[in-house]
Amino acid sequence: MNLNLWITSLVYGLSMSGVLFLVSVGISIGFGLMRIVNMEQMVYYTFGAYMAYTIVTSTGSFLLGIIAAVAVAAALGIIVETQLLRRVYSREMMFTMVVTFSVFLIGIGIIQYIWGLDPKPVASPMETMIRIVRVKVPLYRLLIFAVAILVYIGIQLLLNRTIMGKAIRAGIENPNNVQGLGINIYKIFTIMFVIASGIAGLGGALYAPLIMVGPYMGWDMLLFAFITVILGGLGSIKGTMVSALILGQVMALGGTLWAPLAYIAPFIVMFLVILVKPTGLFGVRGTAFGFES
Amino acid sequence: MNKKVKTVLGPFILVVLLSISRYLFSSKMTFITEIAIYSLFVMGNNILYGYLGMVSFGQPFYLSIGAWTSAIFLAYIGHNPILAMLLGIAGGVITGFVLGPFFIRLRGDYFALINAALCAIGVFVFQKLLIGITRGEDGLWFRTQMSRVRLLDIRLPNNFFFFVMIIFFIVLVLYSHMNNSVLGSSFKALKVNERKMRFLGFDTFRIRWIGFILASALSSLSGSLYALNLGFVNPSLGETHRAAEVLVATLLGGSGTVYGPFFGALGFLGIKDLVSRWVTRWELVVGVITLIVMFRFSKGIWGGIRKVSLKIYDRDERSAGRCGRQRS
Repeated sequence: MNLNLWITSLVYGLSMSGVLFLVSVGISIGFGLMRIVNMEQMVYYTFGAYMAYTIVTSTGSFLLGIIAAVAVAAALGIIVETQLLRRVYSREMMFTMVVTFSVFLIGIGIIQYIWGLDPKPVASPMETMIRIVRVKVPLYRLLIFAVAILVYIGIQLLLNRTIMGKAIRAGIENPNNVQGLGINIYKIFTIMFVIASGIAGLGGALYAPLIMVGPYMGWDMLLFAFITVILGGLGSIKGTMVSALILGQVMALGGTLWAPLAYIAPFIVMFLVILVKPTGLFGVRGTAFGFES
Repeated sequence: MNKKVKTVLGPFILVVLLSISRYLFSSKMTFITEIAIYSLFVMGNNILYGYLGMVSFGQPFYLSIGAWTSAIFLAYIGHNPILAMLLGIAGGVITGFVLGPFFIRLRGDYFALINAALCAIGVFVFQKLLIGITRGEDGLWFRTQMSRVRLLDIRLPNNFFFFVMIIFFIVLVLYSHMNNSVLGSSFKALKVNERKMRFLGFDTFRIRWIGFILASALSSLSGSLYALNLGFVNPSLGETHRAAEVLVATLLGGSGTVYGPFFGALGFLGIKDLVSRWVTRWELVVGVITLIVMFRFSKGIWGGIRKVSLKIYDRDERSAGRCGRQRS
């Protein structure tokens, strides 16, 4: 293998890491703060991608597409959280899993109803190639990664530097105590949930030009997102970032070596990680998330 | 009524009703066969979800293990379909036995997701890695390789129907026996409070392991019957999408009961059949049904039937002055 191939693979991996991080951060927050397995995050991701498709084909502006995607995803997040998820926070994890999964199915059904079954292409927003050591790589892929980094920094700042972040972190430790201090934890849940779904929509919109947008694009991404979250450790944003970086490179390298490996390599990684260290890379030990591990 | 009689009588009535409906709606025979096969699959998932309280998003993997074992045996090695079916079950038992100790110490969502990963790996293995044996996407055809079995030539759809009915009857009797036995009670107790169970001196690890093996054996039995029914197998049988369907069917019928899986399979396949006649988008319908069932009818179809029948039964009993007797 020569240098060209390695650098291309590295850039591909970085863009993949960006998308994985954006999509899975919501699941990570859901695990950590609300203690639910929110599988319907992928609905926002798919809706984001479809909004990007609709706006880009009708107006031609990709920036508008991204804004619309984030707005629609966040609006859907508000509806789902306030109407449905609020009723299931106190239930056991299995129950929320099945409920959010059926929301995911309903989302797929609605998407098929609005946009039809056939995959849609999204026009690439920029064709610019930049040179890294004699190798031309698409700038857009690097931009995805840059956006992911910005989002990561933003979330870290929100959690660590603001008074709301303090309340959220306290809520992760013990929601009842926070409630007892007079902070409305449900309001915080809603805010975090909307942020998470908006980020998932952003991920979908950014990823849309690189793939074909189809109603089932959430299925594979669902599994990949869960692999990212589990590899990183439940409820740890830093862990999610690190594991997204690892998994992006694993997928890119696997794809370079043998095409089918790109799809299957993350599953093998997840399989081994769960068997060897079920708490993930940055996971916390103890009964915090209902696990005795 | 005597418990032993009840264990056999219920399945017997069900199978007889199915056989009668086969003659009443003779055009629906393959559909009834499919319901019976599918309910075996749902029964496997029901042991995990309903009895042990573990969600698995990877049950299609165990289904495809059974299907592929039978298919590969029939296509390359032997000709006896019964033997192929037994080998399929053995494949499921071995898979459950080997994977069990690694999987069942995981909890909740980890268990669900490692199964989903396993499912994806399974599709990959059968589709890409073993393409020389399994013929990849085209599927493995073996209809012509099946030989005549002495008593019942199950190559004919009509005979296959009765063959499935016999197996369904046997499995239902065993299932209902399990429900009434110590094992079934341990499963249910484990779901409610594992720590207490361990405190009482039960080996919860082993109980869970047995449940896991039973579930994978039932799934693979269903898989090999699917293979024998269709005459070919292709990798789409083990796709992750199907994991959602079987979970929905389990919930719909009523989880943790003996006859729930059958009504779940009947309800789910029936709804899918009806819905796909008008709309192709079954996801929306399945999702809405699951939400309604989860929030309003947590006991499922069979739970509803039993509630109504118990009310009638209770009235009879109260009038006879024998109230307060414990029923299962």
